[in-house]
Amino acid sequence: MHPILEEFLDLWVWPTAPGAGGAKFRRRITEEKCIPGWEGLVQSTVRELESGQGAGEDWKRRLALEGYAAEGVQFSIKQMSAQLMSINLNDQPRWIDVQRMRARQVWDECKHSKLHVDSLSGHGWIKDERELMNDVDANFQPLSAYFGQSMMFTHIHPLARNAQHYFIEAGAYLTICIYDQMVGDLLVRHQHLSQKAEELMHFMEGKYQIDTYCTTPETQNAVEETLEWVLRFFQGKV
Amino acid sequence: MPTLKIDHEFCTECRMCYVACRELNLNAVYVAAEPLHRIEIDPARCLFPGCTACLPYCPAPGSMVEAETGRSMVPPPPDVHRWSLKGRMR
Repeated sequence: MHPILEEFLDLWVWPTAPGAGGAKFRRRITEEKCIPGWEGLVQSTVRELESGQGAGEDWKRRLALEGYAAEGVQFSIKQMSAQLMSINLNDQPRWIDVQRMRARQVWDECKHSKLHVDSLSGHGWIKDERELMNDVDANFQPLSAYFGQSMMFTHIHPLARNAQHYFIEAGAYLTICIYDQMVGDLLVRHQHLSQKAEELMHFMEGKYQIDTYCTTPETQNAVEETLEWVLRFFQGKV
Repeated sequence: MPTLKIDHEFCTECRMCYVACRELNLNAVYVAAEPLHRIEIDPARCLFPGCTACLPYCPAPGSMVEAETGRSMVPPPPDVHRWSLKGRMR
């Protein structure tokens, strides 16, 4: 196991709350599904950077454009709105804190897109963010989950998206940890510095909600089915 | 008895501790009206070190400390917070 992943598990994944009803379920999906996925993501990112791509301008430009495509304002609003609307009005009293967490995330994601713009403009590839409105590379990303097709699914269980918070946000955090170690470019560092803290926070939202709320077969199945769907992308099946 | 406090140099005000504490109906974590409308911990309500339920969900290293020693409680030190999924529940 890569040391970055090992440290992430020890510091942030394994600690749980006493008596957390969903902790046993979280441990199982972590061991069976998340760790293999995270390990694959870490190893592929390390391989990419070890090949020298991280020093190239093309790599940095693509990284920023892909980031913008994933976290652009329009995409972020739609995706987070879908998460918020997965909670019906009648269910709001139970999931009021879940809604608060997700509402806050709208700003985080919109800010992340601005950081990608900072990198693109700082490197001299664009003069203004508005230039990206007509750039396909800044508006399309292949990720089939979270910021992709699933943003349309408002009807899924309110807790199902914790699979995405738990798995995808951890992957983002791990990837940024690797950039920190292996990419020296100051603009790439700027692009990711505050993101690093916020991806970990979004991961914690998923971890907390699984531990605290996913205590029944119904809620656990909702999370696990979504996780399977998310993982298909990483396993090359989508 | 040691007490827990927020270190505002590191806290990101994400309020995960607030949510975790409220879910347990302890309500020791609150948003203080003064001086800067920030998260604080009420030592009269907080059960630390008997309760450490907020610690595993805080994402900001160093943002919660033991007030008397300044020792960071985030990420949660294993000698203070004993609840870990590592090596258990097999």
